[in-house]
Amino acid sequence: MLRFALTRIVMAIPTLLIVAVSVFVLIRLIPGDPASLMLGDLATPASIADLRARLGLDQSLPTQFGIWFSHLLKGDLGISINSQEPILPLILSRFWVSAQIVLVAVFFASLVAVPAGVIAAWRQDTTLDLGLVGAATLLLSIPTFWLGLLLLLFFGLKLEWLPVVGYVSIGDDPWRGIIYLIMPILTLFLHEIGVILRMARASTLEVLRLDYITHARAKGLSEGAVLWRHAFKNAFGPTWTLIGLVLGNLLGGIAVVETVFTIPGLGRLLVDSIFARDYPVIQGCMLFVAFCYVLVNLVIDLCYPIFDPRVTAQ
Amino acid sequence: MNRVLASAFMLAAMAGPAAAQSLTVSVPADVRSINPGVNRDDNTDDFVLQMVEGLVGYDEGGTPGPLLAEKIDVSADGKTYTFTLRKGVKFHNGAPLTSADVLWSWNRYMDPKTDWRCLTEFDGRNGLKVEAVEALDANTVTMKLNAPNALFLDALARTDCAMAAVIHKDSVKADGSFDKPIGTGPFKMGEWKRNEFYTMSAFEDYASPKTDGKIDGYLGSKRPLVKDVKFLIVRDPATVKAGLLSGAIDMGGILNSDVDELRKAPSLTVQVGTNAVRHGLLIQTRDPLLKNVKLRQAIAAAIDYDELVSAASADLAKPNNSPLYPGSSYFGDVEKQGFKYDPAQAKKLLQESGYKGETITILANKRPTAVSFPQAVVAQSMLQAIGIKAEIEVLEWATQLDRYNKGNYQMQAFSFSSRFDPALGFEQFSGNKDKQPRKIWEEPQALALIDKAMVVADKAERQKLFDELHKRYIAEVPMIFTFNGVEPYALSKRVKGFEAWQSKQRMWEVTLAN
Repeated sequence: MLRFALTRIVMAIPTLLIVAVSVFVLIRLIPGDPASLMLGDLATPASIADLRARLGLDQSLPTQFGIWFSHLLKGDLGISINSQEPILPLILSRFWVSAQIVLVAVFFASLVAVPAGVIAAWRQDTTLDLGLVGAATLLLSIPTFWLGLLLLLFFGLKLEWLPVVGYVSIGDDPWRGIIYLIMPILTLFLHEIGVILRMARASTLEVLRLDYITHARAKGLSEGAVLWRHAFKNAFGPTWTLIGLVLGNLLGGIAVVETVFTIPGLGRLLVDSIFARDYPVIQGCMLFVAFCYVLVNLVIDLCYPIFDPRVTAQ
Repeated sequence: MNRVLASAFMLAAMAGPAAAQSLTVSVPADVRSINPGVNRDDNTDDFVLQMVEGLVGYDEGGTPGPLLAEKIDVSADGKTYTFTLRKGVKFHNGAPLTSADVLWSWNRYMDPKTDWRCLTEFDGRNGLKVEAVEALDANTVTMKLNAPNALFLDALARTDCAMAAVIHKDSVKADGSFDKPIGTGPFKMGEWKRNEFYTMSAFEDYASPKTDGKIDGYLGSKRPLVKDVKFLIVRDPATVKAGLLSGAIDMGGILNSDVDELRKAPSLTVQVGTNAVRHGLLIQTRDPLLKNVKLRQAIAAAIDYDELVSAASADLAKPNNSPLYPGSSYFGDVEKQGFKYDPAQAKKLLQESGYKGETITILANKRPTAVSFPQAVVAQSMLQAIGIKAEIEVLEWATQLDRYNKGNYQMQAFSFSSRFDPALGFEQFSGNKDKQPRKIWEEPQALALIDKAMVVADKAERQKLFDELHKRYIAEVPMIFTFNGVEPYALSKRVKGFEAWQSKQRMWEVTLAN
């Protein structure tokens, strides 16, 4: 198991290297110059040249890459052009905010969607199945920004149960922090239910048609035992993979939800940095997101044997 | 049930209406820094200039006047400025303002290590050079220039230069790094939680230039009448609206398109201010097609300015074709004469230009707070109406700015930031394209007039120069200014005394009823 994990981590290095080079090159291919953006239409050639020199943007691309990469190897992602903050602590602080929302939302969405998907498959083509699938499709179809605004208007403005704007860190004030996170979590929770339920239903349906399920039923096992002991365990693999992908995807950016609910998360940092051409932050964020993807998928792979003993980590 | 839940979530109320004398203002973005004139944008200037002040500042009409100075004397040769400091002014740490502080602040700005945004404006690289700054006594400072310059005080008052604010040396840590602004402004620095909010509190020992309650740009009465102000970063305009309606936000900028709806809200008032931002349509005068002045005149005559401005500003603004904004003291009868909407004349000019149906592309961006795209859409339809094949290319803002800087476009719907002095307003879009490709108007005689306006101090003579420049601009159509910026704000009815001005959310003289 340990060897498998280490191998996977080592295999991630080339991936991260490719991401580093690609992001560095691609972001500079996009038209737009950070110095011009910072100075706006009041800029003079002298002031632009001055700022470009201070930001190190007047050097050749290979030189810029060399400087950035040598710092990267020492664990230093550099300084933000915009805020002049060190990038790694900036990313970690913003990631922590996003991660709280994503992990809780995906956890609860899985808790609801997986059993619901299994039951929908078990009761295929019944009113219950159609209802669950219909609800899942509806939730999946609503854009998160619109769902977020609806929740904000309903719970914030109409019922006045939850705060409409602002953010309090859980570290500063746990109770208030939770209150401010309810709506963003609810938005993601509702959206991800649709995604996970459909996968859980589809994979369970596939397993329920297999011979060993018929055999289990022929042995006289109860439907509950058939469903949860035999069908669920075998059907959960694809859903578990999907949950991993969803997590990796969301951890890299829930910018829309963060914007609607004024949450200072990683997604908004990345989007703002792209608009501002804050190259070092974009590079740092993309590397970090790639790293998260690799890590989440590694954890997912390592967990497989728990659900399906046929799969080993060898 | 509702009551139980409401009690359980009473924290919502804590984030709701502000406590007495604590004002919550929404802002669309975080400040870049709190270091005056260093790593800044408009939002940053707005915040910092509530805490620091310079020797001079702009009045309501955009003319520089004494702020920390009591009076300013200019030598006969126009090269030496003597500033007499206002008495009784204190820094936030209680220290009195002296000429030594002015010297220390100036030397710090002029040190390249400070990274002052306006260093190039005063070190000779852009012509103007402050050759010497001396303290004649504890209350008097002189600044000597390399040559007479009519725009020296304007440059000192510039908000993007943070008014060359005088700050106390304790603003800087022992290692030379900036700590926090200890200025002489009406508010003191509070807390800054990056990407969430920043706050400031009233400076009780503030020495206001006047105390009559009349706001006058950065001059006039500047008493801090609320205890604290919290600027909450809310990027999404829909969330700002919800925050205003719920009472969680006391005031904030809103979209033009939300004005009608929020005017109907019983708890809110809406105020629409104007600013010197100039919206318009840029024309690349070196483009093979658009270098033809007849074609440019045809374009100018094809646009129904009333309709375009009404559509682009949600009926909040009025047309203004002049590079001067209407609040300027130089905006007179000549400047009121803009382009004439005349479709028949436009078609005639188009025919005379020899236009053969070539495509003209208008660049635009879709930032929610910008009027670029609506302007482009309306202009496109009006140009098509006279037979011009106009197309729109939508770009992301940074890309559009890059194309502007490189002069790589035919037309674009663009906005110029505020420049109060008309000479700077003209200079912003005029110059030699070989040296600065972003410049638009490069007619030599116009450039000579602008250069002259930079030096001449006599107001009547300057007025003549600006009138002449305006007439030339209307005749040659190097570009088309359409209207000036409007800035709608929604305010809780508890907020009194706020006056929108030049996109600045001035918090002095503002009160909050309980």
